Amino acid sequence: MFYDLHIHSALSPCANDDMTPNNIVNMAKLLKLDVIAITDHNSVSQQAVLHKVAKRKDMRLIYGIEVQTTEEVHILCYFQKLDDCLVFGKIINDNLIPIKNDIRYFGHQLIMNENDEVIAEEPKLLLNSVLFTVEEVCDLAHQHCGSFVLAHVLDRNNSIITQLGFIPLHLEFDGIEVKSVIEKNKILQTHPWIKDTVWLFNSDAHYLTDINDAVNQISQEELNRLWRNGS
Amino acid sequence: MRVKDIAEKTDWRLFADDNSKENEVQGAFVGDLLSWVMGHSSPKQAWITVQAHVNVIAVGVLREFACLIICQDSQLSDDMIQQAKEENLPIFLTDMSAFDVCRKLIELGV
Repeated sequence: MFYDLHIHSALSPCANDDMTPNNIVNMAKLLKLDVIAITDHNSVSQQAVLHKVAKRKDMRLIYGIEVQTTEEVHILCYFQKLDDCLVFGKIINDNLIPIKNDIRYFGHQLIMNENDEVIAEEPKLLLNSVLFTVEEVCDLAHQHCGSFVLAHVLDRNNSIITQLGFIPLHLEFDGIEVKSVIEKNKILQTHPWIKDTVWLFNSDAHYLTDINDAVNQISQEELNRLWRNGS
Repeated sequence: MRVKDIAEKTDWRLFADDNSKENEVQGAFVGDLLSWVMGHSSPKQAWITVQAHVNVIAVGVLREFACLIICQDSQLSDDMIQQAKEENLPIFLTDMSAFDVCRKLIELGV
């Protein structure tokens, strides 16, 4: 299955306002992707509508969110069930540092319906940290049958390597997101104890044109392994 | 200036054994991004940070810091205190900001 499991919708302040539910799903169709996940910063408010749109257009959708921990590390959490995702998302949103979004600096945080009409705007700034550590987010995701994936691990901003120097030895992550095989090899070289994890090559798209072409494939079996620690 | 001297002259809470209290402090380094700290700090410095993840201990040992100063009552986990003890790395905990900690250290002659 061709995949891209890290795409931002217009709900993320940093994403382009053209990242509407229909545009994303249509673009994924055009690119011949088989499965996608839309992971907005610290919010799941667009997931239910995305579910409807994806279903209508016969696109497989995994529910997701990109959480920013207290240490300012970005984590992708994935869910197989919408309900689990919504419950987890509410806990994240309730524990997000309460600062109002200033659209002049950060951009709009648009919530849309299945016709791409803006129905609300998230008032709280989503580009912020929650009051949970990396380990706490990991436990919380697993408690809600979710998966815990270290996002863009070698990026200069908000990666676990930048923030915490290296991947903690006892962290029970389910996957690692990298940009290239070179990055994957770098991580393996510097973390020889990592033997068995799921490697994801995602786009982290903030614009429609950034979404991955159908180049990265994952088997159903490998995809299932993302949830091996969820209870 | 030794760790024990700083302990005597401040009200910062210190987690350390007698041995590591003798560590000599030569200057200080402020930073919360661990990759940055690893790349730019020097041995024997006091490391001032709000980052209270257990990885801080590993970086502190790697860079041979004299001690850590955790600011603004950033929450220390039991794990972190335990690991610091095992590694003989003294930790100060204070409600002061990094700026005020720097001012205090300069006042003390660090």
